[in-house]
Amino acid sequence: MDLLKNIKQKRSKQKQKQPFKRNVFNLISSIVKQYHLKKSFLDILDNVEDDLSSKNLNLTRIRVKAPLDSPLFSLASKDQYSLTMSIISNVDNPYLKFAHSPEEIIWCKPLYRLNPAMDSEKLMRYHFRTLYLHERAKVEIEKPKPTDAKN
Amino acid sequence: MKQLLDSDLELVVESNFIYLPLLFDPEIENEIQTVFRSKKQIENSVKPDLKTIIKVKDKYFVKALNLPSLLENYEVINAYDYKRLRNDCLLKYQLTDEVDGIFLDETLKIILFQIMPHFIKKNSGLTRKKFNDKEILDLINRKINIPARYYKNAETFKNLAPLKNIIENLEIQTPVFKPPGNGILTGRKLRDWFHNAVQAKILKSERHRIAKSLKVREQFNQTKPEHIAILLYISDMGALEIDGFGFTRHNSYKGEYFVYKRTKEFVLTDYYARSYLFPECSVAVSTYLPFRPFVMEKYKHPFLLGHKSGQEICLKESVPSSELSAKNVIRTLEEGITALRYGYDCRRRNGYHSLDRTWVYIPTIDFEDYRI
Repeated sequence: MDLLKNIKQKRSKQKQKQPFKRNVFNLISSIVKQYHLKKSFLDILDNVEDDLSSKNLNLTRIRVKAPLDSPLFSLASKDQYSLTMSIISNVDNPYLKFAHSPEEIIWCKPLYRLNPAMDSEKLMRYHFRTLYLHERAKVEIEKPKPTDAKN
Repeated sequence: MKQLLDSDLELVVESNFIYLPLLFDPEIENEIQTVFRSKKQIENSVKPDLKTIIKVKDKYFVKALNLPSLLENYEVINAYDYKRLRNDCLLKYQLTDEVDGIFLDETLKIILFQIMPHFIKKNSGLTRKKFNDKEILDLINRKINIPARYYKNAETFKNLAPLKNIIENLEIQTPVFKPPGNGILTGRKLRDWFHNAVQAKILKSERHRIAKSLKVREQFNQTKPEHIAILLYISDMGALEIDGFGFTRHNSYKGEYFVYKRTKEFVLTDYYARSYLFPECSVAVSTYLPFRPFVMEKYKHPFLLGHKSGQEICLKESVPSSELSAKNVIRTLEEGITALRYGYDCRRRNGYHSLDRTWVYIPTIDFEDYRI
């Protein structure tokens, strides 16, 4: 009897509709198409760490994510496909599926390096630049000040 | 389809099929790799005609549209574009119904060569001479400024070689169009080929029309290009006017016309000898029954029932003719014009209305605004 119940429960679970999740390819591919990205974008991605270290960034205002219309299934031409796959392999972190613009793709890597455990709600709501600056500010506050060290 | 053919996209044509660039996602890429890894194994078993995906210059293309089928069904697939191509094609060879029809239109011949000479000024000074058909066409050519394109079309009309060539090709059953050839093509190049193929197919279907048109052209081959240009101009415009006389094609009845003559301004007097200035109007008669004169414009007159366009002129004693002939049309037009200009008798106040307001005045049509 228990076995029968168990089987029935399993089957009813299997029958339940699962929410459709957009995969990273569809999302990045639609950004590539929408913003007409070229291969030179990969160079920007490669040099993003160097650029950040040379820039003096301040958290001036909180930026909200730009809306993105991405199709459920995206098909790309050969060039677009290879660029999309290169971006995915270059960034290679779970935050990428929350990016809504090329700028956010750029900020994805540094943000993940700074805090790899951010919750998805924040990632869905705020622009990655804002999150990055916020996280960096937190790290700087937590750093021991030279006067504290003396005491 | 239209977007595809208007683009610069690279397409491949092979075995009468259009192959489009393959679009990718990770799953498709995996499938492609699997297919082309095992390509050598399946190559012998699969006919080249049935290849769904082909690789040309390191690019993948997927089988999409069958060209002969597309050509065959283009009339249904894109009716608007097919109609446009058909019109372009028929115009290119001057093969429209109107063009052939105009050369065989007996009614038009009566109007041009018998009625028109009666109403237009042909000679200068006191010389009087009867004009033949060619001289009348020369006269029209002098009086009407015919655009240059009609002279160009007349040259096309007189050139029998392209039509003879088409007929010969159709008779010896050569294929109506050459296939575009296998290989990479841009969308625009394929579009040009496709349009030519559709036009070749249209010409094949219009074989009878071409044969008929060829006969007409052979008949008129000795005619001057200027005269052909005039007829092509009339065929296109459907109307002509010289010295206040003109005709216009009837929109609903094919091959029928309204023949008209403009009156100049004229004055009528009422019972009290007051003058009324009537504006000019066009008195017309149709080439189909009943042959009664009417005023084309919105007009008011004691002999017209209301104040609107297309009203028959009240001719009590006139019996309309029952046959279309130049003599009858001329008589009807002249009767109409005479009635309007000279028919009103101020003493009898004949017609539907009186010019002056009588003591038992019932307001119907008022002529006070014409008083001078």
